[in-house]
Amino acid sequence: MSSRWEALQHQSFLECNARQRATALVDPDTFTELAGPRDRLSSPHLPVLGEAIQFDDGIVTGVGLIGRKPIFIASQEGRFIGGAVGEVHGAKLVNIVRLARESFDGMTAKGNLPEERRPAVVLSVDTGGVRLHEANAGLLAHAELIDQFQDCKGKVPVVCLIGGKVGCFGGMGFIAAAADIIIMSQNGRLGLTGPEVIEEEMGKEEFDSSDRSLVYRTTGGKHRYIMRDCNFLAADSIAAFRAALRDALALPYAALDAQRRIGSLEKVEEQLKLVDLCVKLAPKDSKDVWKYAGNEDPGALVDMTLDTFLKQVKRLSVA
Amino acid sequence: MRKKLNELNFEFKVQNPKDFPAEFLHYGVVGSGDMEIIMEKKPLGGAVKVKVLTPVIGFEEVWRRVLNRFVNDTGIANASIEINDCNATPVVGSLRLRQALSELKEVGNVQ
Amino acid sequence: MSEPRKWDTRKTDYLERMSGAAPYIGKGKVVAAPDTTKVLEAAIRPFDRVNIEGNNQKQADFLAECLKKCDTHRVHDLHMVQSAVPLAVHLDLFEVGIARKLDFAFGGPQAGRVAQFINEGKLQLGAIHTYLELFARYFIDLTPRVSLVCAYEGDASGNLYTGFNTEDTPAIVEATKFRQGIVIAQVNKLVEKVSRVDIPGEWVDVVVESPKPFFLEPLFTRDPALITDTQVLMAMMAIDGIYAEYGIKSLNHGIGFNTAAIELLLPTYGEERNLKGKICTEWALNPHPTLIPAIETGWVETIHSFGGELGMQRYCEARGDVFFLGPDGTMRSNRAFSQTAGHYAIDMFIGGTLQIDKYGNSSTATANRVAGFGGAPNMGCDAKGRRHCTEAWLKCGAEFVSQSEYLGIMPRGKRLVVQMVETFGEKMAPAFVDKLDAWQLAKNANLPLPPVMIYADDLTHIITEEGIAYLLKCRGLEERMAAIRGVAGFTDIGLSAKPEETRALREKGIIRTVDDLGIDTGRANRSLLAAKNMYELVEWSGGLYDPPVRFRNW
Repeated sequence: MSSRWEALQHQSFLECNARQRATALVDPDTFTELAGPRDRLSSPHLPVLGEAIQFDDGIVTGVGLIGRKPIFIASQEGRFIGGAVGEVHGAKLVNIVRLARESFDGMTAKGNLPEERRPAVVLSVDTGGVRLHEANAGLLAHAELIDQFQDCKGKVPVVCLIGGKVGCFGGMGFIAAAADIIIMSQNGRLGLTGPEVIEEEMGKEEFDSSDRSLVYRTTGGKHRYIMRDCNFLAADSIAAFRAALRDALALPYAALDAQRRIGSLEKVEEQLKLVDLCVKLAPKDSKDVWKYAGNEDPGALVDMTLDTFLKQVKRLSVA
Repeated sequence: MRKKLNELNFEFKVQNPKDFPAEFLHYGVVGSGDMEIIMEKKPLGGAVKVKVLTPVIGFEEVWRRVLNRFVNDTGIANASIEINDCNATPVVGSLRLRQALSELKEVGNVQ
Repeated sequence: MSEPRKWDTRKTDYLERMSGAAPYIGKGKVVAAPDTTKVLEAAIRPFDRVNIEGNNQKQADFLAECLKKCDTHRVHDLHMVQSAVPLAVHLDLFEVGIARKLDFAFGGPQAGRVAQFINEGKLQLGAIHTYLELFARYFIDLTPRVSLVCAYEGDASGNLYTGFNTEDTPAIVEATKFRQGIVIAQVNKLVEKVSRVDIPGEWVDVVVESPKPFFLEPLFTRDPALITDTQVLMAMMAIDGIYAEYGIKSLNHGIGFNTAAIELLLPTYGEERNLKGKICTEWALNPHPTLIPAIETGWVETIHSFGGELGMQRYCEARGDVFFLGPDGTMRSNRAFSQTAGHYAIDMFIGGTLQIDKYGNSSTATANRVAGFGGAPNMGCDAKGRRHCTEAWLKCGAEFVSQSEYLGIMPRGKRLVVQMVETFGEKMAPAFVDKLDAWQLAKNANLPLPPVMIYADDLTHIITEEGIAYLLKCRGLEERMAAIRGVAGFTDIGLSAKPEETRALREKGIIRTVDDLGIDTGRANRSLLAAKNMYELVEWSGGLYDPPVRFRNW
């Protein structure tokens, strides 16, 4: 089992499937899957519509360990209906967060809980958002998930990993924004409306979705990192994501507030300043914003290797 | 025409059967053009039962051939196989079935 | 008393037309973009044969748009002779009556409209050709009266720099100009002095700087991230069962993911097999990005290209020992010469197809799309005029059992023509069929023959995921059909195979299954690819390859 785990460490995070990610992100031989394929909790709605189902409804949930820290992990399968959130899928997401929080409550009830033992929620997000076939249930799940995030405040940190082919779009976009920490790779994308829909609504002149370079400049990991929409940028390997995850989890809980994008008056005012900046700057392209942030040659940032990028890049700060 | 998810059921019996060596095995992702497989040990008097859920209609005979060839090539017996398919072609189907079995060699008893 | 015949009427006519265009021609041969339509109206007469340049890659799109704007009273019923009709405007011309007849080679995205317009009587089809065949007819019976071409740069004297994307331009211009025709060129940039004279100014009548650079399609770029395990398996089979077997040094890869997988397996699987230097050294090929790893690891000695692939220019120009660069250091492609090389100077053509019938005829035509042929028929056939020998050509000829029926005891070589196809395509459409959809298309589009890309009598090998059928070893049609059935898997054609027949063919070595070839299917997956995504191709190229924006995921 361990040699399999070792081999996965070097694999591309982008190319791995959901189960491989879940198993390999936590310490070897510590992952126990909950509500897995053996339980056959597939979608009751898809067969009625003549659509293929998956035994785990497109999401792997379970518990593992990183060091002594219990990790409640959910890993979305982007290849199954674009990782979209349906009823069962959504319920598994909501419940793994709830389980984490309840575990924390249970563990602290027994007495003082050392920081290194504080459970954490890790969501590997690879989704286009709500599964239209099960739209109501999917939307409800989104609402319930934000609810769970709120209940986790002061208890367990919530970390989102975004590095799959689909990225993090639709409703899950703002769910991710509500998490404590976001880790992305340069191949990951975080947004709300998908590029094709933007083009459909606003026209090709405004946003050419076939210009993937543009799509990645607008929603990709490097841009999000410059904008401070994500906290860490990792290379495209399981090992790199794992390392970034360990660094994130090593932060004391008190330091999490500084990592968040929303959740305090200061954060809201920061966002308002960003809106003002947007109006003032009227950027035609992300590169205009990168330049404003202090990057002399914004174009060069695109093809830069990650190491060079992280050393050189200037992130946006609104005073 | 109303779409529906089709259920195909097959049963095979081979000449020189080898009991399925694990309790439970799962392999694969139901991506477009792909499929996932569960194989479970089940006392079936030497037979193999296969259930396929697929959105494609009219290819029951092709599925029968693919599964028949797999069962005969591997000689597996006393197993229940469940497949969730999403338009996998026979070559992908055969490949995934073979890959599922080779998982067993790698990790011993799975799950 | 009858008048003596005039022998220079073409020249007179040419001068008349040019005098009509003269008011719009400024310094030297330069016309301002807004005047282009007026110039076309002066230069073109109804029922003219007109060429619009455009092939797989570059398109004279601005000139096509200007032609569409012509007054249909002055310009109508043109006979279009052009390589390809990929842009909507190409078919719009038929819609508005400016064009009436079409001779071409490749349909592309407009293939459906071609079929539709033929049905509606808006388009009269001359014939579908292969590229070199069409160029040949430019010099016999399809000479353009007016040609609309495109180039990177032009100067006031009409000199054109076509560079990396030279493609069809020399063939078109030579045929047109040397029959007193008119050559009108759109250029990306008007310059004082062109970087290199690819077309001399004396052969060009008008130069227009277009508002936007000409359209360039990266038709031959394949994202390694989309290559499947099955394609890797079939690539392994091709390398072992054909490339190594015959020692294929000179070749062309037809477009597609199957051949892209082969290219990406050379530095890994090919290396394991110790094949470097023994195969894949000489290519007639567009600059495929997926060949970069093989080039970088020393597999390739020379490549001549039909055209230029968007994003590959800097890479090619930094690899002067491999590609065809001019004294100025920039590349020049040439479709006519490359296709000639593809016909006479390579030992193997290998490509994919949509359908193969039970006899072995293959086609990409579907019932409602006049897809055309491109270059495949030219390379996917035996070159009967070839006389020089190579090991592979001689071995193929020696294995070709039916040869003696035509030549008696006389030995001769033969080109390998290989079709690679999975038994089932998208949506479980069988690749092996009783009757090609091409028959239906011939009916729907009023074609005299079903459009066949590669005929059974040229096909030497078929590769499917089941195995390789060595058709050249078959004696007679019946045995060939049995060999096809033997690799047709679970399609109806394949299911009609008699197991004893297939077994007998395996014993004869006419069919070799995956197991017969000794392929380890456990290794048939993407991890064997030298590059698994576009980013890795860029890394392999040392940053010289610049993928078009649609292929970037970073």
